Amino acid sequence: MRVGIHAWGVVTTAGMGVPRLREALANPTFTPHLELPRPDAPPLPVAVCAGFDTKGVLPPLVARRLDRASRLLAVAAKEALERAGALPWPKDQVGVAVGTWNAGTSPLFEILQAVFTLGPDQAPPMHFPNSVANAPASQVGILEGFGGANLTFFEKQAGGLRAIAEAFRLVARGRVAAMLAGSVDEAQWLNAEAFHRLGALAVPGRAGFTLGEGAVALLLAPGGSVAVAGAGAASLPCPPHLYPLRADALLAACRKALREAQLEPEEVELWVSLANGHPQLEQLELELLQALFPAQRPGVLGELATRFGEGAFASALRVAVAAAVLAGELHHCWSVPPHLTSEGFTPLEGPARNALVAAQAGGGSAIAVVLARG
Amino acid sequence: MVVTGVGLVSALGANRQQSWQRLLAGETGIRPLTLFPTEGYRSRTAAQVDEHRLDLVGIPAPALAHASRASRFALAAAREALAQARLAPLPGADWAVVFGGGSAGLFEAEGFLAHRLARGPKAKGVVAFCDVPQDTPADRVALAWQLTGERITITTACSSSTIAVGLGAELIRQGRAEVVLAGGTDALCQLTFAGFNSLRAVDPERARPFDRRRQGLSVGEGAAVLVLERESAAKKRGTQALAVVLGCGVTNDAYHMTQPEPSGEAWARTLRAALADAGLAPEDVGYINAHGTATEQNDPAECAAYQNVFGDRLARIPVSSVKGAIGHCLCAAGGLEAAITVLALENGVLPPTVGCEELDPACPLDPIPGKPREKRVEVALSSSFAFGGNSAVLALGRAA
Repeated sequence: MRVGIHAWGVVTTAGMGVPRLREALANPTFTPHLELPRPDAPPLPVAVCAGFDTKGVLPPLVARRLDRASRLLAVAAKEALERAGALPWPKDQVGVAVGTWNAGTSPLFEILQAVFTLGPDQAPPMHFPNSVANAPASQVGILEGFGGANLTFFEKQAGGLRAIAEAFRLVARGRVAAMLAGSVDEAQWLNAEAFHRLGALAVPGRAGFTLGEGAVALLLAPGGSVAVAGAGAASLPCPPHLYPLRADALLAACRKALREAQLEPEEVELWVSLANGHPQLEQLELELLQALFPAQRPGVLGELATRFGEGAFASALRVAVAAAVLAGELHHCWSVPPHLTSEGFTPLEGPARNALVAAQAGGGSAIAVVLARG
Repeated sequence: MVVTGVGLVSALGANRQQSWQRLLAGETGIRPLTLFPTEGYRSRTAAQVDEHRLDLVGIPAPALAHASRASRFALAAAREALAQARLAPLPGADWAVVFGGGSAGLFEAEGFLAHRLARGPKAKGVVAFCDVPQDTPADRVALAWQLTGERITITTACSSSTIAVGLGAELIRQGRAEVVLAGGTDALCQLTFAGFNSLRAVDPERARPFDRRRQGLSVGEGAAVLVLERESAAKKRGTQALAVVLGCGVTNDAYHMTQPEPSGEAWARTLRAALADAGLAPEDVGYINAHGTATEQNDPAECAAYQNVFGDRLARIPVSSVKGAIGHCLCAAGGLEAAITVLALENGVLPPTVGCEELDPACPLDPIPGKPREKRVEVALSSSFAFGGNSAVLALGRAA
């Protein structure tokens, strides 16, 4: 069964909604708001959705009971559903699949801060339900009345892509009529400080990634002009907080996805760079592309994670942007990362019929998805 | 798809045999919590694992380096499951790991956070973060056995590892893996202990599922890993299947973040989805391993769901909850309960509902009070419900 992307919605550091994202992607000088305050210490360089506001999108009483991650996803979901129009399926046949790297951190912090500084009996009960990582997906399910499978996937940076891949399979196998699939991450100083202490964040004098926040929601259902044509996953064991030393898992995941899409590597027309500024990931991407595309090179769409920030949501954002480019809805003029330029990769010029999107998680898990137009 | 190995770590024991025997003996692992201070809480008890009894012999050092308690539970359970399945993967084996994600290394990170809040940014600490992501137990199991297949972590709160077992079987069905290590792990931490206490959802003494006097759940911890493979592959290796994974149903009640839809209609939809996936009728079901948290709202809603699906026949279906014995192991609960259901099918013995002494009239079922019951069952269900309205039901069958 052909499973297409029927509509999408986003919240990024460029602002709320697809139009703001479109403006940012068409602006070669776009830079995100990069500052996250933390107590007793200088701010951390994290791409945050500084102007995010639920006013006019969610009723105040609803917004008040949601944590930030749930609000981000709820707003992205509202946009996707509005763009889709009236859904033709019973709501108990519509599911939700979300990937996240850190949903629940803010409520978790509120509870623990109260316990550690005020005492155990001061833990605020209102925060506990949202401290679970599945709160955003569940809250969207409750808000929209979706009674199909409601799944949250935790696979670090690759979580968004995993959610889309599994949603694709659920629809393709007829387990649900449609899935709202995507990802969400929130900017929280505790997460950012953790990555900073682990040496992963980009700071002056040290290469690394820029953590980000945002939400992506795609409506997957039978039909559609741009479809998920294949998905694949593999892994290469390594310590959980590190990238693997070789690109074996990425390569295996891409090959599986291409096989399912019945495409040869040389037929791939668009590669969506997974680079995030971390030198090891750049090395892995280079190794992957040299193995996958030794001669004929696809056009490249780059800099998404370096500008909007890294996270599970970034892997879903790559799918959303690639699908919109294939559909001719988006013009992307950002440059190709230097590590790819030096190997002869150039930006995509003109239309493309298909795209390969991949993600590599710390700890070694890798996923790839093939999108195809027509 | 068959189950050929079960690994189990619970408050009743650090392995399958000990946990099972003590469960059948009607013992409880719920006792005063010693992992962190509990002064000031409504409840001071929990089902805590005796970590010193974990068997981690042969687990490579890199997989154990800075590993959280939750990861160590998972490694011990995976080791036991693989040994029972008589499987020793070659490095690079394309096997999958599908786990329910829980608190992972949060207990360890809480120590840092308390320090950070007290001392400010100069507080030292790095390794406490290594195991915070919920997928690190799956990472560490793959690292220990050098597995290169798909690695999936599902986090739907208390139904996480039920779904992990169902999805694990689906991976084999779809040809995405030959062998899957499926299950989950969760460890006690101050967040969940404080959270359930703040909701006043805990029993000050111990959980008493379906009992008229119940006051709430007891938080627990543990891990379960099931080795899943095709029946033909198990036969080819000469390995005895312990049970068959027949199907799985997953739905959402879209009702409330913490409370189940009280009529049970939504949960009944999950039960029917599992039966439909397995190609079964309600009449085929011989035992239900219930979610049975012992909270005021859960138990009647769950019973209402069973009544909805099984009608008058419910009174004749033995139903037990193990949460009075091993506590509510949250994201690992469904995995542990699936593992116990496999043991029940394999041994022809149904575990009792420890703590249920006076059945709540709002829960008109046969809770197997007091003692285990010898009964050969062909089909059993393992049922889970979670924060956010996520319910999941596994249909398991007796191996031929």
